[in-house]
Amino acid sequence: MSPLENFRMAFESLLGNKLRSFLALLGIVIGVFAVTAMVSLGQMATAGITQDLEAIAGRSIFVQPNFNEGQDFTSAPIREEDLVALQTLPVQVIPQLFTSLQYESRPGERRSLQLQGTPGDLPRLDPTTRVARGRYFTEAEARGGLAVAVLSDRAARELFPGREAVGQVARLYYPGGSRLELTVVGVLEPPSGIFGGLGSSAVVFAPIPLVWNTAPNLRRGEYAFVVLSLKKGADARQVTQQVRRIFESRYGKGKYQVQSTESFQDTLRSVTLILQALLGAIAGLSLLVGGIGIMNIMLVSVTERTREIGLRKALGATSAQVRQQFLIEAVVLTLVGGVLGVVLAASLLFLVTATVPFFKVYILSPLTVLLALAVSALVGLFFGVWPAARAAALDPIEALRYE
Amino acid sequence: MTPVVEMRGVTKVYRSGSGARTVEVHALRGVDLAIQPGEYVALMGPSGSGKSTLMHIIGLLDSPTEGEYRLGGEPVRGLSEAQLARIRNQRVGFVFQAFFLLPRLTALHNVALPLVYRGVPLAKRLERARAALEAVGLGDRLDHLPSELSGGQKQRVAIARALVQEPDLLLADEPTGNLDSQSSEEVLALFDALHRQGKTILMVTHEYEVGARAQRIVRLRDGRVVEGGV
Repeated sequence: MSPLENFRMAFESLLGNKLRSFLALLGIVIGVFAVTAMVSLGQMATAGITQDLEAIAGRSIFVQPNFNEGQDFTSAPIREEDLVALQTLPVQVIPQLFTSLQYESRPGERRSLQLQGTPGDLPRLDPTTRVARGRYFTEAEARGGLAVAVLSDRAARELFPGREAVGQVARLYYPGGSRLELTVVGVLEPPSGIFGGLGSSAVVFAPIPLVWNTAPNLRRGEYAFVVLSLKKGADARQVTQQVRRIFESRYGKGKYQVQSTESFQDTLRSVTLILQALLGAIAGLSLLVGGIGIMNIMLVSVTERTREIGLRKALGATSAQVRQQFLIEAVVLTLVGGVLGVVLAASLLFLVTATVPFFKVYILSPLTVLLALAVSALVGLFFGVWPAARAAALDPIEALRYE
Repeated sequence: MTPVVEMRGVTKVYRSGSGARTVEVHALRGVDLAIQPGEYVALMGPSGSGKSTLMHIIGLLDSPTEGEYRLGGEPVRGLSEAQLARIRNQRVGFVFQAFFLLPRLTALHNVALPLVYRGVPLAKRLERARAALEAVGLGDRLDHLPSELSGGQKQRVAIARALVQEPDLLLADEPTGNLDSQSSEEVLALFDALHRQGKTILMVTHEYEVGARAQRIVRLRDGRVVEGGV
């Protein structure tokens, strides 16, 4: 007797008892649905986070002084000669300065925002900086220390509510009280993705020499932060190591922090992987419960069909053929449940991608599907063994007498 | 000619319990029996006489404790479960009192069932099942479910299921036991016809009128053949 024959018989007997078959495989449907959805949602979340990170930070390496207790934060700044050393690597070196500024939101009320000193023409150096309106100040303007500024989207909205910021003069104050007036030449695009909230702070970008000249607490030639934007084809891991070596050879271990977007991504990936495994395991439990349900229903089925089994044996079925029949029935049952579960998970994932902005990409990898189906078939095989063995062991005479 | 059924000194002892409390039941106490090809034999006897046990042994559903049994000239002692199943499938056609049709299968598929275990392809199976159903006069009931058939028709489907195997021996266990007199007559007439075609039939019954239709009556009492064994 061919396995195909057995599959045909399995479908016949399962279709003969549709309601019960459906209820029996419901557990498997839910289990497979849960595992598949968990795994895929995890993959989609990872992809979403990775994309967001790249959109915000690109492929970059960040260098900043470590905060050491008991020492002034500015005690170990990044100096001009460090930048020269970094120029040898396949990166765009973008030094930056930070300090805080205030503006008068209403007469008598001052609010803070951040002043960030950058080189000119930043969008060329760092592709994640995108100008929405106006332009970025040029390298010449930056070198000359002209009183020009580019505003972050939020800074533009705060400083010039309801008005076009480009072309206006922003009146700002250092915490010490000294005034700084900057002509706004451009406004940046707001950041996107889940990091949008993080990145939407009010920032005024101005030429580095201007900041040195005007800020009371910053020294010329010292930077707070360096972004190294990797050039195409450069290996992030390798370059990160080189940067680390440069700073260690100059200042010793532990003075500077060197991190790459990739290392953030690695951390995020391992976190989501752990979450995925955990949720997958919990979902797997429901698969176990579903399997026990299948075993239960198969045992009932064997008892109910005792006379059928007796008849089949009288007509020439061997014990092995009877066992095979019931095993395949269990496997067909769980496999159908698996297919339904995968279909259900696929539709949920589709719905989630369509409605939740964070999940931008639809991921249902063939491997996940294959694995889900294989596992559901295995569950059927495993939980079908005992009922099938009981069916096979029936004595045909007793079975035919069974009422 | 080789007898279809040939038994010498067949006994069957059922043991239950264990140790000192073992109970032995002697269902058969030395049966000699021979059935020639083309014979129509009725096996009769009161309940407890060993009819069922003998029929199960003849049909290879059970094995003798002692004695020799040859089916179609071949000894069956020591055969494996799978070998016995194959011989059952090829040489013995069962007809039961309670029909034992699978309720979810049509008449055609019920009749085709034994051929599944012989590895006959589906189209061929259905073709042969159709022929068997036509042979029992049910050519117009192929797609009916058992629940849509009368008692006599059900038993004729069951007979067709036995015939489709082209067995050496048709083994009928009280085939009219669940039928009214009209349906009984319908079924018995069919057995008569099969006998005329040269089929070998062994029918177990306790009704005299039914037994009287056979060519020969074998009487069993207390596990022994008291009349017509050879």
